Amino acid sequence: MKSKSELIKFEEGISLESGDNLSSFELMIETYGDLNDSKTNAVLICHAFSGNHHVAGKNPKGEIGWWDEIVGPNKAIDTNKYFVVCCNNLGGCSGSSGPSSINPTTGKIYGKDFPIVSVKDWVNSQNMLTERLGIPRWLFVVGGSLGGMQALEWSIAYPEKILKAGIFAAAAKSSTQNIAMNEVGRESIRKDPNFNNGDYIELGVKPKNGLKTARMLGHITYLSEENMDLRFGRKFQDSDSKVDGKVDFEVENYLQYKGEKFTENFDANSYILMTKAMDGYDASKNFKNLDEALSSVSSELLIVGFDSDWLYPPERGKEIQLAAMNNNIRSSYITLDGRQGHDSFLFASEKYEEIIQDFVGS
Amino acid sequence: MAKELSSYIENWVPENSKVIDFGCGDGSLLKKLINSKNILGYGVEINDKKINECIKKKVPVIKQDIDMGINEFASSNFDFSIMARSIQCLKNPNLALNRMLKLSKRCVVTLPNLGYWKCRFDLLKGRMPVTPDLPLSWFETENIHLCTIKDFEKLCSDEGIKIQDKVFLSGSGKKSLISSLIPNLFATEGVYLLEKE
Repeated sequence: MKSKSELIKFEEGISLESGDNLSSFELMIETYGDLNDSKTNAVLICHAFSGNHHVAGKNPKGEIGWWDEIVGPNKAIDTNKYFVVCCNNLGGCSGSSGPSSINPTTGKIYGKDFPIVSVKDWVNSQNMLTERLGIPRWLFVVGGSLGGMQALEWSIAYPEKILKAGIFAAAAKSSTQNIAMNEVGRESIRKDPNFNNGDYIELGVKPKNGLKTARMLGHITYLSEENMDLRFGRKFQDSDSKVDGKVDFEVENYLQYKGEKFTENFDANSYILMTKAMDGYDASKNFKNLDEALSSVSSELLIVGFDSDWLYPPERGKEIQLAAMNNNIRSSYITLDGRQGHDSFLFASEKYEEIIQDFVGS
Repeated sequence: MAKELSSYIENWVPENSKVIDFGCGDGSLLKKLINSKNILGYGVEINDKKINECIKKKVPVIKQDIDMGINEFASSNFDFSIMARSIQCLKNPNLALNRMLKLSKRCVVTLPNLGYWKCRFDLLKGRMPVTPDLPLSWFETENIHLCTIKDFEKLCSDEGIKIQDKVFLSGSGKKSLISSLIPNLFATEGVYLLEKE
């Protein structure tokens, strides 16, 4: 598969929804396949909370992309047909400007001084990227979870630049429960003695324990009860592969391992920033209601929810479709019986692949 | 869906209207209406395979059990609703009818006729009817509320539903003189255009 990573610099900066601005910023992107001559085959993939620009294939470090089951040659989003683009979102920690990068005006690491970013800011920065890449209109903008919120926002904010949107395992706004879960994660980071109010990198430390706990909690919310039970049950971890002596059950070992691994690559300030963006998103914030928010939309919408997802349950997707239908927007709403809870959107299944493929290709 | 049946429905659906089709199957009727009447159509379907067929045809589709939620669409103003060969599968056909006529001023309902002579003949022989139109045995059929043409028209009159137009199809799926003259005995299917009085 033809793929390319690139760091793109935006000297013109960006004004953020919060009123702050970044005088300049960078976005790390990865692209797959080729833009056709008529520039009508571009697909933008928006990543979820802890994802990044590396969607498909193996990167030089040998890591497989987070949506490799769906994106690639002859897959549901076929990189032989489409020019696929994904960028690490602003505020992230995989190469784009974020709390762990250097503030060009001070020459120091941003740390806690990196401004609050929102889903709208991401979409605005992705629009700047769209212009930079010379893409007049996306054939398809798609994402799951927080990525789905971006796809929805794209269709609201830039209706003339998007033909179809895929909104998977997402909602038009985070629920009270979503915010509550995220706050527990953030609090565990803030209470880590190494957090130092967000300025830890310059001290050469990391709030690793806090970040690990946050991720462990997160992981529980991404899986369904049934899936956890099937995968781990009440099985005991065999002693050779225990991460430490405290662990009894396989599920404990799994969470410990996943949590630990997450801290190797993820920045705690980015965690706070990304979850804040997720909590803050409400498509109807500047409107009377969701119906009015969607009144500008002209793209076709495909909304997919997963039965076992209790973090962003299917009903949240249905609300979007209903509001779309009230606005006479061509829109479909489908629930699939993904067993993996909220994470279901990441994994290929025959029905899911067919629906995506047929929707983009029709 | 038989070509003739969809043509009768097509005649009743106004151009540029907003249409919802409950139990839309593979979306072929909506596709036909999109092409010929430039409608904005939405299908409601529960079967995943059929949903995929709709997506392939670019027909907007919503996965939903009709029994559970006709009312969910109440906030969207439809001009027309359709329920072809599905009403007999619902738990509460009478509620469904009323709900459809709340969604849209007019609706089309088609249903198989249990009064058709072949069905009566099967019953005379002491067996549940199995005909080309009702091909499944009693234990595998989804048709839990079969009725005759007379039954259906009585329900409409009891519920204050006005039958604006109707067509009766015979075994060949076409209109015939005999199925129009004595529909309760000779029609396999009733096709109704309904309006709330």
